[in-house]
Amino acid sequence: MALSLEKLLDSRRVILVVGSGGVGKTTTTAALGLAAAARGKRVLCLTIDPARRLANSLGLKAMTTEAQTVDPQRFRDAGLPVRGTLTVMMLDTKSTFDELVHRYASSPQARDRILHNRLYQYVSTSLAGTHEYMAMEKLHAVKTDGAFDLILLDTPPTANALDFLDAPQRLVDALDSAAMRWFIEAFQESGKLSFNILAKSAAVVLKGIGKLTGGDFLEQVAQFVTELNDLFGGFKERAQEVARTLRAPDVAYVLVTSPSPMAIQEVLFFSERLEEQGMPRDAFVVNRLHQASALQAGADAAREALRSLPLSLDDDAAERLVSALDDERRQAQLDRLRLRRLDEALARSSSPPLRVDVPALPYDVHDVRTLAEVARVLAP
Amino acid sequence: MNSLLDRRFLFVTGKGGVGKTTVTAALALKLASQGKRVLCAACNAKERFSTLFHVAPVGSEVVPLAPNIWGVNMEPSVAMAEYGMMILKSRTLYHAVFENRYVRSFFRATPGLYEWAMLGKAWWHTTEQAPDGSNRFDIVLLDAPATGHGLDMLRVPKVIVDIVPPGILRRDADRAWAMFQDSKQSGVVVVTLPEDMPVNETIELLGSLEGELKLPVERIIVNSMLPPLFSQEERNELIKPLDLDHGDPGHAAVAAGARRSHRERVQAQSLARLGDLRVPRIYLPHLFEGAESLDALRELSRRL
Repeated sequence: MALSLEKLLDSRRVILVVGSGGVGKTTTTAALGLAAAARGKRVLCLTIDPARRLANSLGLKAMTTEAQTVDPQRFRDAGLPVRGTLTVMMLDTKSTFDELVHRYASSPQARDRILHNRLYQYVSTSLAGTHEYMAMEKLHAVKTDGAFDLILLDTPPTANALDFLDAPQRLVDALDSAAMRWFIEAFQESGKLSFNILAKSAAVVLKGIGKLTGGDFLEQVAQFVTELNDLFGGFKERAQEVARTLRAPDVAYVLVTSPSPMAIQEVLFFSERLEEQGMPRDAFVVNRLHQASALQAGADAAREALRSLPLSLDDDAAERLVSALDDERRQAQLDRLRLRRLDEALARSSSPPLRVDVPALPYDVHDVRTLAEVARVLAP
Repeated sequence: MNSLLDRRFLFVTGKGGVGKTTVTAALALKLASQGKRVLCAACNAKERFSTLFHVAPVGSEVVPLAPNIWGVNMEPSVAMAEYGMMILKSRTLYHAVFENRYVRSFFRATPGLYEWAMLGKAWWHTTEQAPDGSNRFDIVLLDAPATGHGLDMLRVPKVIVDIVPPGILRRDADRAWAMFQDSKQSGVVVVTLPEDMPVNETIELLGSLEGELKLPVERIIVNSMLPPLFSQEERNELIKPLDLDHGDPGHAAVAAGARRSHRERVQAQSLARLGDLRVPRIYLPHLFEGAESLDALRELSRRL
């Protein structure tokens, strides 16, 4: 039995908002947050990159990773009754990674060695993959925070929509790997990379990698890995906890798409993977669905309307108004055609998830009022 | 467009959902029509070249898509293995290293490694030679990940150049990076839509590309342009609050005109903001029938 989005807002602790880039995840997350706050929840929205105009309109500073609570006056000014609170926190990969190092380093010296390691600087700031790890880490860190009733995560746009689900497991696998231990063994004895103490097979592997990277670099990596090893116990446990968090029954997954073929393909792929892993797909949100009036108008009808309305347009405007109406109809037909694939896939499902369609607005969702419009569609 | 004919490598990126793959395919058609041999490379995506060109799904082998156009969907672990095989030159050693499951999980978790495997492979195809010694492909079009991940991908060779000491990896990253930085050989193509948020992302992306990475931006391609129906004055009129009768067809046309005016206004403002950038722009029309057919692609390629 499908839950409605209101029920999700009322019954879950965490909602992950998932979908490919450009489908409106951030807007959906913010609108769900507003809807939940209106229902009296204390809501935390975690987001990678808030839409700037929307953030401005909520009175949020864009350049801080501190949690910021929207001033209730903003809602009152827009005429919205909001009983709860809406807090927004921007995800910051580097500072989240730094916090982990602070938490799990065995000594201040070990901590500083890692934080000042040259490879760490790159890994923690500018390399692909760490964003997903750290988004999941942050989610886990705030999940236990009693100050919030509901946490919404605007999942980072991944090259592959599933990268973030696998991120904790990838980390555990790597930390647990023999390759990692070989590095550490080969390095720890002398503080230099030495292959003679290793099993022959391990030495072959490391030398093979060394051919690619050059021996000096391998030594840098070994040093970095050895220093990171200090964190491993805590780190590994943490990654396993994070993986459990993602599978907990109080977590809901809301899958967002637009009518674009690529977005639908991606969201269906994601949905299948969730199903395979025995995880819930609680709802689908179809954003930016173009709609068209059921009425057809000719130029005469448009001319008639223009005569009765206080509009001063050029003489040939009636034809162009009709074109606007026709264009909307063509676009709506195209969207419906494209959504057939989603309809069919959902119809085959044994427990069809809820689907909510959000009509395309002719302007960006950039302030409290337009956000509330979307919120009303998602959770009336 | 003519300057593109001399390029060897184009990195196509932009915000998610702006039509990067469609634009890549249209670019390929355009270049092929001028006699170029083009390789379209996808990044381990649920690739759509096969749908666009009506061929069987494209995997990690290079396959023909259309006359003078080839496609490949780069799978990072396969690309890593190909690279390993090329360098280690010994099947035994290759197996010991690359088929080792611990090594694999280590590779999988090493940030940036898979990105480099794909970017490096795409670059390597520019160096690939046909049996007669000529270039196998005149140009490689990389249908890259969206903005943030695209930037991450471009940072990897720079990181390697910065921190890895001399060796094979460093040598290849040096050569690739030199090509990416050379505006005569290579450039980034940024695809965007004439809307608020995609334009914000485009402006920020340009800042990072030109400021932080010092990479040449070849073109901004503004996709999905609505043909304007109304003048600025008419838009201002139509956007005014009106008391419309929703059961009346003529009024429905006026309401549609008002919505169209909103969109056209956002489009005009977005184009004005892009106009402040010093990168040449190309505009592609919005296709109300969708851009999924080969005819639609041809139409777009003619506009390039």
